[in-house]
Amino acid sequence: MFEKVLIANRGEIALRVIRTCRERGLRTVAVHSEIDADALHTRLADEAICIGPAEAARSYLHIPAIIAAAEITGADAIHPGYGFLSENPEFAETCAQCDLQFIGPLPEQMRQWGDKVSARALAKKLGMQTLEGTELATDVDDAVKKAEALGFPVLLKASGGGGGRGMQVLRSSEEVRASFETARAECAAAFGNDALYFERFLERPRHIEFQILGDRYGNIQVLGERECSIQRRHQKVLEEAPSVALTDEQRSDMSETIRRAMTEAGYLSAGTLEFLLDERGELNFLEMNPRIQVEHPVTELIMGVDLVAEQIRIAEGEALEVPTPPLAPRGHAIECRINAEDPVTFAPSPGVISELHMAGGTGVRIDSGVYGGGRVPPHYDPLIAKIIVHAPTRAQAIAKMRRALSETIIGGIRTNIPLHQRILEHPAFEDGRVSTRFLDDLQG
Amino acid sequence: MKVDLEQLRELIRLLDEANLTEIEVEHDDDRIRVRRDPAAIVTAVPQSVAPVAAGSTAPGAEAAETEEDAIYVTSPFVGTFYRSPSPDGDAFVDVGDEIVVGQVLCIVEAMKLMNEIEAETAGTVVEVLVENGKPVEYGDRLFRIEAT
Repeated sequence: MFEKVLIANRGEIALRVIRTCRERGLRTVAVHSEIDADALHTRLADEAICIGPAEAARSYLHIPAIIAAAEITGADAIHPGYGFLSENPEFAETCAQCDLQFIGPLPEQMRQWGDKVSARALAKKLGMQTLEGTELATDVDDAVKKAEALGFPVLLKASGGGGGRGMQVLRSSEEVRASFETARAECAAAFGNDALYFERFLERPRHIEFQILGDRYGNIQVLGERECSIQRRHQKVLEEAPSVALTDEQRSDMSETIRRAMTEAGYLSAGTLEFLLDERGELNFLEMNPRIQVEHPVTELIMGVDLVAEQIRIAEGEALEVPTPPLAPRGHAIECRINAEDPVTFAPSPGVISELHMAGGTGVRIDSGVYGGGRVPPHYDPLIAKIIVHAPTRAQAIAKMRRALSETIIGGIRTNIPLHQRILEHPAFEDGRVSTRFLDDLQG
Repeated sequence: MKVDLEQLRELIRLLDEANLTEIEVEHDDDRIRVRRDPAAIVTAVPQSVAPVAAGSTAPGAEAAETEEDAIYVTSPFVGTFYRSPSPDGDAFVDVGDEIVVGQVLCIVEAMKLMNEIEAETAGTVVEVLVENGKPVEYGDRLFRIEAT
């Protein structure tokens, strides 16, 4: 059993972890940069340690500072949240060397699943369908040859990329010839890895992902799917669960495929397998995220689990309790990511929040990292809060979310709430006819 | 023009973070200029508030604060503060000692590494602000130095 957990993150996810720790009777340590000295996570944790200046590379990404903070506070475990160091195998290794329990997968599992090419190969080996793709392209001529063999349009992807960065749709050999070298240079600069490959490009796929948990005794639990098709530049904006695009049979078949595959692979802690649903109605493995995800609350609401509590229990060495028959989803949940950004131009909108009133009432959950009078610094992710609703049906969940957004007041900064309202009013969204192109279509 | 304190604070923060000496913002007929003494920057003491002048096009709206002479040595790491090289050794420095640039003042231990903290300015140690063996955070004040 842990006694004190250090949370190596900030914002709403740091609070999310603090909440579960407190409910479990664990003491919490927040780490923060100088600019976050008054941030909500700093204020709500039992202890707070300043680990560096505002710049993330010298604070939230600075491994020695975080480990030293754990040492001086006597923490026995570290929860990395998402982003920052959550998928960094060296960080997990350093924790182990310093006798700190990393709350997450094993370093070798992060390596295995973190590299997209090896992740795809592994998924394929484990019996999951993947989108047709190529090996790494060695040079321009090779790239053209590989793209032509795959058939246009193709998606050019960076092996070391993430969050949609480094991806490009190419529709002809000429486009490949024109883009390849630049893309390679950009990826080398952005990820320190210039390996590029192609994948079959789907025009209007749906993004569907499955939540899993694994323990150290080989048990794997699959906790249903989330639909995250509403994206802007591959960044998710609104998520829901379950997906209207899957039948009960598809859901249980896929869950069983994943359970078998991940049992064979052996996986520890929480993870998410992302798929693209193609025009044939088939799920194609996209990537695996070895961490807790931003949109995990929709799963928590429909499955009645606390995923962060499960991560902690697993890290403490407890066994998962996998019920038979598997848990079935109850009702429908929707999450809106509230970003400090202009709803039209998407330019970040940092600043001081002059007034704040978050929605409430039955079936509304708020995971926020801000408070009235607090500052949204320009140095980090624009996500300031998540509004999550749970209702018996999808139509009721949509109505509840509209109601929740209408009573949310965030003054002093701009937010994307008007964008969410447009999405929720859209007939295609109401009918569940969405794809990853939905927002592009909405904005013309 | 009404002085927006929050905006002013924001500008001062920006000035400090970007290590600038002057920022001027103009909007419609309002103008705010925040400026500090460049000499205050080289001491690299983030906590010290440098002289700030806030002005606008309205005459006579100039305010200024003078800075105290003290220079603080702050911790560049999170870790444990040690005043001497070994538990029974003599302290690196004591109150009243004259110090030179580059002189070791203390150790901050992080991840079993002993990081020697050196003086960036010459002067006299006026105050030792942390007890030996205590944890320190990034930016914590360790010593007060009077510059020579």
